[in-house]
Amino acid sequence: MRIPCPHCGARDVQEFTYLGDAKPRRPEGLDATEAAMLEYVYVRDNPRGPNDELWYHAAGCRAWLMVRRHTLTHVIESAVPTKSAKAGVAA
Amino acid sequence: MNAQPFRLPSGGLVDRTQTLSFRFDGKTYDGHPGDTLASALLANGVRLLGRSFKYHRPRGVLSVGSEEPNALVELRTGARREPNTRATIIELFEGLEATSQNRWPSLGCDFLSVDRLAGSALVAGFYYKTFMWPAAFWEKLYEPVIRRAAGLGRAARFADPDHYEKAFAFCDVLVIGAGPAGLSAALTAGRSGARVILCDEDFRLGGRLLAERREIDGRPAADWVAATLAELAALSEVRTMLRTSVFGLYDHGIFGAVERVNDHVAVPPAHQPRQRGWRIYTKRAILASGALERPIVFPGNDRPGVMLAGAVRAYVNRFGVLPGREIVVFTTGDNGWATVCDLVAAGVRLSAIVDSRSEIDPTFKALAERAGARVFAGGAVEATQGGHHVRGVVVRDSSGKHTTLSCDLLAVSNGWNPTLHLTSHQNGRPIWNEDVQAFVPGTLPPGLAVGGSAAGRFTLAQALEDGARLGREAAVEIGFRPTHIEPIPTTDAETNRVKPIWRVRGGRGKAFVDFQNDVTEKDVELAAREGFRSVEHLKRYTTLGMATDQGKTSNIAGLAIMAEQTGRAISDTGTTVFRPPFTPVAIGALAGHHRGKDFRPVRLAPTHDWSREQGAVFVETGQWLRAQYYPKPGEQDWLTTVTREVLAVRTGVGLCDVSTLGKIDIQGRDTAEFLERVYINGWKALPVGKARYGLMLREDGFVMDDGTTSRLRENHFLMTTTTANAGKVMQHLEFCHQVLWPKLDVRMVSVSEQWAQAAIAGPKSREVLRDILDAVHDISNEAFPYLAAREVTVNGGIPARLFRISFSGELAYELAVPADYGEAMMRALMAAGSPHGITPYGTEALGVMRLEKGHVAGNELNGQTTARDLGLGKMMSSKKDFIGRLMARREALLQSDRPTLVGLRPINNAERLRAGAHFISMGRTANTDNDEGYMTSVAYSPSLGHWIGLGLLKNGPRRVGERIRAVDPVRNSEIHVEICSPIFVDREGTRLHG
Amino acid sequence: MAEQATSSWCRRDAWAAIIQVGQIGAAGEPGVKVQLPANLQLATLIATTGSTGLERITKQLVGLDLPRSASIALSATHGLAWSGPGQWMLLARQRAGFSELTSLLSDEAAVSDQGDARAALCVSGRRAREVLAKGAMIDLHGKAFPVGATALTSFAHVGVQLWRIKDGPDGPAFEILVSRSMAASFWSWFAASAAEFGCNVARPG
Ligand SMILES: [Zn+2]
Repeated sequence: MRIPCPHCGARDVQEFTYLGDAKPRRPEGLDATEAAMLEYVYVRDNPRGPNDELWYHAAGCRAWLMVRRHTLTHVIESAVPTKSAKAGVAA
Repeated sequence: MNAQPFRLPSGGLVDRTQTLSFRFDGKTYDGHPGDTLASALLANGVRLLGRSFKYHRPRGVLSVGSEEPNALVELRTGARREPNTRATIIELFEGLEATSQNRWPSLGCDFLSVDRLAGSALVAGFYYKTFMWPAAFWEKLYEPVIRRAAGLGRAARFADPDHYEKAFAFCDVLVIGAGPAGLSAALTAGRSGARVILCDEDFRLGGRLLAERREIDGRPAADWVAATLAELAALSEVRTMLRTSVFGLYDHGIFGAVERVNDHVAVPPAHQPRQRGWRIYTKRAILASGALERPIVFPGNDRPGVMLAGAVRAYVNRFGVLPGREIVVFTTGDNGWATVCDLVAAGVRLSAIVDSRSEIDPTFKALAERAGARVFAGGAVEATQGGHHVRGVVVRDSSGKHTTLSCDLLAVSNGWNPTLHLTSHQNGRPIWNEDVQAFVPGTLPPGLAVGGSAAGRFTLAQALEDGARLGREAAVEIGFRPTHIEPIPTTDAETNRVKPIWRVRGGRGKAFVDFQNDVTEKDVELAAREGFRSVEHLKRYTTLGMATDQGKTSNIAGLAIMAEQTGRAISDTGTTVFRPPFTPVAIGALAGHHRGKDFRPVRLAPTHDWSREQGAVFVETGQWLRAQYYPKPGEQDWLTTVTREVLAVRTGVGLCDVSTLGKIDIQGRDTAEFLERVYINGWKALPVGKARYGLMLREDGFVMDDGTTSRLRENHFLMTTTTANAGKVMQHLEFCHQVLWPKLDVRMVSVSEQWAQAAIAGPKSREVLRDILDAVHDISNEAFPYLAAREVTVNGGIPARLFRISFSGELAYELAVPADYGEAMMRALMAAGSPHGITPYGTEALGVMRLEKGHVAGNELNGQTTARDLGLGKMMSSKKDFIGRLMARREALLQSDRPTLVGLRPINNAERLRAGAHFISMGRTANTDNDEGYMTSVAYSPSLGHWIGLGLLKNGPRRVGERIRAVDPVRNSEIHVEICSPIFVDREGTRLHG
Repeated sequence: MAEQATSSWCRRDAWAAIIQVGQIGAAGEPGVKVQLPANLQLATLIATTGSTGLERITKQLVGLDLPRSASIALSATHGLAWSGPGQWMLLARQRAGFSELTSLLSDEAAVSDQGDARAALCVSGRRAREVLAKGAMIDLHGKAFPVGATALTSFAHVGVQLWRIKDGPDGPAFEILVSRSMAASFWSWFAASAAEFGCNVARPG
């Protein structure tokens, strides 16, 4: 696979590490409940189709990216920095 | 005597002005440059090349390319010996040495020929059925016997002496195959200005045009090939790669290829690799890999001398070799007649032509007349005769009458299969095409186009047309504008009608479907009778289509017979999906430079050479090589050395490299807030100039890493991590910042490599440091107390950082200088410390001392422990949120009987503790039900004079004083230990603060 | 007494005991040349989010524009290489004045010295691209990687930052920064890869 890093251009997937689904949002603060945190840490969908995922350009610019990848075909629609995409940022 | 009796007097692409000498099974033969081992052996009249896998039947050359299932030999000798190489693609070189395989004692006389013995027993599913019970028989009896009888050659017994490489290439358009379609695709794409890579597995470009007598634009096809190659060579953005097999297609237009850089010479020239594994990144790719001819399934079809008709043409036209003198052609289509035509042109007479079709084209009849051959329309070959090669065939004519014909070569043709394997590598399913009677590519992966024979368009005109069109389309799709469009070259006429037959019925004897795995039509029938319907199951049950050739010549007949047996059409039966690699690839070509000591990069500390000079023994810690201990002459074992090192620190002063610790520079207004969120303990109150121990959890509540972090300035911290986790922690921090809290002003960068760092530990450490630091820096206990952390200078202004931190529990410091000064620092410290007997110590002594102080390290930070498990639960702040806070509070993690950190000491001081030993209460049986935890780390404590250990034990801290069994089933030992505090030495910490 | 600089405190750069000057691999006209730059100074600059101060002050102090994409601005004495979003690698060709420069920049950026953290080399020559292609998973073709382009990537599993400088008399030229601790592994790969073309190694000054 090649991931189109918005900073570095298309790079071999070997340069990246994969984290997983980008949708879950960390329940922030002292008021967060254990149940919500449990959901955030462990519960994931297993979608067939385009999915937003977190990838880290470890051997490149060290940016965390939100990559929209089709889980069946591996077709990548987009890759954007999480900093701009606000992926994972608590509301 | 004619040295090469089957070499035609002229013609072919071999260089007759030069002779190459080679050996096969100990006998010496001659060949020419341009020959393959197969063509040279055939020129010398050698037809028996090996024995088959299961039945040890004699086997000769079937094909002319990489699909060859039969002619597998061991190439070269000694460490370079390579089994299962295909004689049809081995380029002849001077001194080549090959031996046949699968025979004992000799190729001609094989005692293991099970055909004569128990052949009928080895039917489909034989292994599954026969060797099911009892299990012990498998190892002791069945396997050794089968291994002897079966197998595909012997691997070399020595390490491969050659160098292999990996390489990466990028192009706009990759063209796979340099036949007519590939050459014209490369040309049109190249002319448009696109960067083109043209790969071919052969050692000469031209594909089938090398093997055929065809005309392009009214002239011999060779002229067109030469002109095309000349133009390609002149295009600066076109790269042609010979001897390069594209073996896999991966996501996003990435291809794997192997370049046999020096397989065609005896030994690679100095500084050159044997093979090079390529990863090719493409925007577009054109598959122009041609087609593979199909054999016919009939009894005795595996006898040497039965050869594909297209291969016969190739041996005649390209190599100037006549594979036989009395020739019969057995064909189900026009292609067999092309062979007749070329043989006639070469002045060869034929005995007979058997065409399974009842209607024969008048032009073919005329051709047969010229060849002096009888024609059997609507006939079939029902048997072959002979021992080690064909002596005759039995032909059944259309009326059912049998005629025996004498012959030494039977050319067979049953149509062609597109070489579409790469189109399947991304799950594409080939589709049966009734018109061309073959599977053709189905849905193609993005960016890939297929043309010519590979697409089931088998004529030369179609190949040229497809190539030109696809080359242009690919270039246009990625933004190139072809300047002008050249007309597509014209060709001479050809027909390619075929009416394949999937097996000849009625004969007697074994009719082989898969030559390489000895799968017969009967095996396929049996599989069908036993209920197998899927071709994937058929493959696994009968082994049809396995091994080096992956069924390139056999799959189709197998599934056609399966279709017939199950009453389905071929299109409904489907074909197996092809997976990479298309052709066998040496592991060396995949590993490249990365083998042995270069298996992966090794990281060396800036003080590495100094440590080596001091006699250090090194140990791998993550990617790093760290000094483990520094043996002195006369020291008998590592324990003696380590004990000396520990005592030196505890009584005087020691010196240890700690450069390998991860160091992360963190700056920005919100740094303290950021640390609050990633560490379990508090950071806002940490004053400038101080360090603090910090513990980090993963979000699931388990400990991730620990280390000290210092506040160098108000908004500038320096974090340290463990050596092994540095990269992981950096990634985690970047995640926390970029994904979770992008609004925080935190700016971090790894400075691990910038600083050389040394621990100076022991009661005399301050005196040594005073000698090193510039005098302006006061390091008295008052001015520079425990956990002080400051920027200092050494040697008159060299910037340095000094930390008063201790892993050993002694008065200790860590001094960091820019890495270029690392070695100078060590030498200066050694010089300054020599009056105090300063002693270099390694990770082993460090480990002993941390254990004596009850500090946790890698064995305890194992990803399964919580802060509470490690006795560090009190560090967890309740006033702030931090990563892992909530998950660490889960009920199960708070259970009092969770294994928790304790110290352990032997009841009998002479006994040695063993890490990994499990704890069992006294009087209980040692089994998993009674398992109460295990010993994580042990060391011999020179300070106490006995072994000590840390362990994780249920209810641990409340059981101090209790005695328990430490059972080590791996080493078969058991000792009794007493549970104690994990801090063994200086429990009050007076030395630390001294 | 420690104030006096002693001769024992001499620098030992990352290539010491790893690279020998001279020809390696095939004899004859070398297809690849390696130069080890002396006195290369490096520092990471990370800008304050949303601040334009760094751009202004770098222009003022070293006369270079801060690159906004994967490229390097170079003068005879200094360079500013894009080094990730909001990050740059500042380089200077001489030691003198560098710490003063970085301290002036520290108001507008987080500055971290990296001069000792990298092993630097300049690879040039007719076959330079072919050597690098044995480890680089990026396209170094003239059009894909023009003069002034930079990339953070890995060669043969070793993290590097490289940029292309002005072509030499016999082909393209690349400056490469290698993680210091992996210099020996990098060189093992590089030397093996360059051997077939012949490689001349020089260490000026
Ligand atoms: Zn990137």
